[in-house]
Amino acid sequence: MKIRTRLVLWYGAILVVLLGIIGLGTYEEFVEHAHGPAGAVIPESALDEAAEMGLWVGLPAVALGLAGGWWITRQALAPINSLTEAIQKIHERNLRGTLPRSENGDELDRLTEVFNAMTTRLDESFQHIREFTLHASHELKTPLTIMRGEIETALREENLSATQKERLLSQIDEIERLAKIVDGLTLLTKADAGQIQLKFEPVRLDELVRENVADAKILAQPHGIQVDLAMCDEVSIPGDRHRLRQMLLNLTDNAIKYNKPNGTVTLSLQRGNGSAELKIENTGAGLAPERQAHVFERFFRGDASHNSAVEGCGLGLSISQWIVTAHGGTIQFVSEPNQTTVVTIQLAVS
Amino acid sequence: MERITVEPKGIMHVLVVEDEKKTASLIRSALEAEGFTVDVCHRGDEALEAGRTGAYDGIVLDIMLPGCDGLSVLRELREQRKGTPVLLLSARGAVDERVEGLNAGADDYLPKPFVLAELVARVRALGRRGSEAKSTTVRVADLTLDTVSHRAQRGGKTFDLTTREFRLLEYLMRSAGRICGRMSIIEKVWDYDFDPGTNLVDVYIKRLREKIDDGFDSKLLHTVRGAGYVLKE
Repeated sequence: MKIRTRLVLWYGAILVVLLGIIGLGTYEEFVEHAHGPAGAVIPESALDEAAEMGLWVGLPAVALGLAGGWWITRQALAPINSLTEAIQKIHERNLRGTLPRSENGDELDRLTEVFNAMTTRLDESFQHIREFTLHASHELKTPLTIMRGEIETALREENLSATQKERLLSQIDEIERLAKIVDGLTLLTKADAGQIQLKFEPVRLDELVRENVADAKILAQPHGIQVDLAMCDEVSIPGDRHRLRQMLLNLTDNAIKYNKPNGTVTLSLQRGNGSAELKIENTGAGLAPERQAHVFERFFRGDASHNSAVEGCGLGLSISQWIVTAHGGTIQFVSEPNQTTVVTIQLAVS
Repeated sequence: MERITVEPKGIMHVLVVEDEKKTASLIRSALEAEGFTVDVCHRGDEALEAGRTGAYDGIVLDIMLPGCDGLSVLRELREQRKGTPVLLLSARGAVDERVEGLNAGADDYLPKPFVLAELVARVRALGRRGSEAKSTTVRVADLTLDTVSHRAQRGGKTFDLTTREFRLLEYLMRSAGRICGRMSIIEKVWDYDFDPGTNLVDVYIKRLREKIDDGFDSKLLHTVRGAGYVLKE
């Protein structure tokens, strides 16, 4: 029950009780007026008179009181409603002191003030985390470059045994992997901090999809996986060509990596009413429903026991999600374990 | 017809501008090991000073520098009509910087973290700039590539190439004798500025090898583990 309804009901109940008391008082008054001291026989006319008064004066007064109460509670609660609406629009990216204040010093103004102070503090700690990750990923790059260079220099030495060489080369592989993770992390933290400007231009999504399918077919061949393009409507969207290609490659690569041997990957691009729908379907082991909700989280891994052989930086889906949302679109991951896994993307067309 | 060969040049004098001292010394020792003479400076303003003398055959220039950033150094040098070839080192993913660099007159760029062997190869290539007019037919050993018909020929056999295979082969042939890192191939052939985390390059190289190398005694396309690929006789 809403506070307003509750208050008005209470208020109504109080008015009714008051009406009762007043009615009783009036009745006593009438009785005394007609017969002197109370206690004698109650005359009919006094009861009638009191009832009449209650009906013609008391009830309208109660009704008026209720209406007034209804109006007053609305007045009193309106700022709370607008406060609720304003708070609803707050997310981690617009935290800093955003709620407008009435400055009249009342309780709600004070509440707004305290709330703004709280979000500002939250904003600061979010900012700190973002800066920390940004700096961390930046600081990691230089040592990685140096390590790579040192190992390469070591590899140039002539009297290395085959095992020594192999060890050094394997270190280079690991450094490359680390560099990849640092790259992905830098991209995401920069995106979080709003430091990445997408370059929007009209992009033929169907052309990008066709180009991607050509690469995917070749990537899938060694695994015996078949890649099909079921449908490819001509679609032009306002987008960042570079990022959209990155998203397409990430998603098709995932569909191949997490597929079963001799499975299939099916892409379709369909033009709907004002939007384009891209579907990437694969026949891999998929994910249990309770894990699907976490699939876009950074460093999320599917079932480790199933995918231990699959290499990746664990950021591909987070990056794809960022790219889609930065284009104002939506991305969905639905999986029926051991049957099909479908990633669906909706983007607004120009 | 263009014939790409790997001829030894006279000693190249190279200026390395990199603020990170360890990275700078690694680059220096790698270049010196290949017979270059190297000067190193760590600040942009010093680089400008040194570059003005025009005493260098090539400059390796980092973009992030104290004093004066690499792009400003480059612009200033070009304004003073110093045509010394410049190889820019840029952060991976910083496409804008790179485009700006090439517009400002850089001859080549390499994303960080780079493969040292590739850096050395690129610096050597700086010395040959200007002679590399783009012709429509490229030849390495007995392999020829027609850049108009996208057809490759070797030993009387003709191969049809997909667009991507063609771009990859053209890039490798035009850099013949030089190591091409996986990231550089990804950037130049696929135009991706991120590491896609797939074995896209390796898979395409394998396909290309099946076409141009299978059935021939002398192999042209070589893998340099930990570094990349090289096309050479």
